[in-house]
Amino acid sequence: MSESLNYKFLWDTFFVALSGVPVTLFVTVVALLIALPAGFLLALTRINKIPILNRLAQVYVSFVRGTPVIIQIFIVYSSVPLLLDSFFKANSINMKIYEVNPIWYAFIVFSFNTTAILIEVFRSALGTVPKGQLEAAHSVGLTNFQAYRRIIIPQALVVAMPNICTATVNLIKATSLGYAMSLQEITLKAKVAANAGYNYVEAYIDIFIVYLILCSLVEFAFKRYEQRLARYKPASA
Amino acid sequence: MLEIKDIHKSFGDNEVLKGVDIRIDKGDVVVILGPSGSGKTTLLRCINFLDRANKGSASFDDVHIDFNTVSKKQIHDIRQKIAFVFQNYNLFANKTALENVTEGLVIGRKVRKKEAEEIAKQALDKVGLSHKYNAYPSELSGGQQQRVGIARAVALNPDIILFDEPTSALDPELVGEVLAVMKDIANEGTTMLVVTHEMSFAKDVANRVIFMDDGVIVEEGSPTDIFIRPKEERTQKFLKRVLPEDYTFYI
Repeated sequence: MSESLNYKFLWDTFFVALSGVPVTLFVTVVALLIALPAGFLLALTRINKIPILNRLAQVYVSFVRGTPVIIQIFIVYSSVPLLLDSFFKANSINMKIYEVNPIWYAFIVFSFNTTAILIEVFRSALGTVPKGQLEAAHSVGLTNFQAYRRIIIPQALVVAMPNICTATVNLIKATSLGYAMSLQEITLKAKVAANAGYNYVEAYIDIFIVYLILCSLVEFAFKRYEQRLARYKPASA
Repeated sequence: MLEIKDIHKSFGDNEVLKGVDIRIDKGDVVVILGPSGSGKTTLLRCINFLDRANKGSASFDDVHIDFNTVSKKQIHDIRQKIAFVFQNYNLFANKTALENVTEGLVIGRKVRKKEAEEIAKQALDKVGLSHKYNAYPSELSGGQQQRVGIARAVALNPDIILFDEPTSALDPELVGEVLAVMKDIANEGTTMLVVTHEMSFAKDVANRVIFMDDGVIVEEGSPTDIFIRPKEERTQKFLKRVLPEDYTFYI
């Protein structure tokens, strides 16, 4: 094997890595679909100081923020099946838990993780909308729900957008840790391809480029959306 | 039309309203005067349930409520009859001037959108903003924002409009335009309850003036009663502080 890069492998493996994009995006989208509403609702319990739930959300955030994602993956991937298996056995349900697609564990870990981050994102964004906006909405006869949907959330979203973008990009990158539970995403596919001929450098470069393209596109989309949401703001902002 | 009885409100240990009775009839323009911290704004906010009174009762036409037991539904019903103009305007930042006015009509009162826009345009025309329908609040001056705030209140065609120091946050040269608009709508027979420090407005436009201090109503009467012949010492002292030095009243 030559010292220089194997360009053919580099080229071929790029498409192998690319073929992992759907799984990566699928996990990302599902995690966001769960985490956005859950994060928002839990942020509301924090802001309105709802007893118990408020404390629970606080502990939850510390818990997730204070542990590495890879460890969360290991814990979920090893303990959930163990628990379920003994549960199924005890109730004599015939279910082969160890044959479940790892994508289900990915959904659990990444939505769990992203929810915690979004709680803090929404909490700080909602805090920037002046109290008078809600009062004015009440004064013209809007209900709480209508006021949030039409007045408060659109304004909070503009503030939250850059942080939601960061959370999304971080989430996309974090799914690369899914290879630890043999999730068929970008990193795992390229690494598997590299195993045969020890072309790890080429594979890593491919992985690098695929994530870079993916994240840049997501960032671009968020920027555009943010500009559209913020059209009511003065041009300087 | 609106009658409030024995309203009490505390923030922690600080009792801001110590039993206030107030009665407003259709067509009244009532101005509440008083030093800051006397509870004027709190009274207004409690009437519209922006703050929750601790004790007292209210009757609004056929709706009778006790502040302790009032239901969400009753609050919603009463708010449909009352409009509020805020000291800091509180225009919806993400809505244009026109949308600020239609919002309450379309969403709060279920008026059809087309119709609401007609009403909103009329209201904005009335406050002299026919050229600013599509401007966002951030593109308007303080005076213009407050005029949108007044249009938003007027368009709802409420039984009464509450004004909470509508000119206090404005630059001095912008106060005049807002007071002029308020005078116009008062002359049209709108029922108004106004907290203000603008003595000229109280003297010229109000038909009743209430002087509040330390959480109670000290004195109440026609502008002449209050400005020319104030009975209470606290009223006299207050007027001496806020009126020009050469102003004389008779005791």
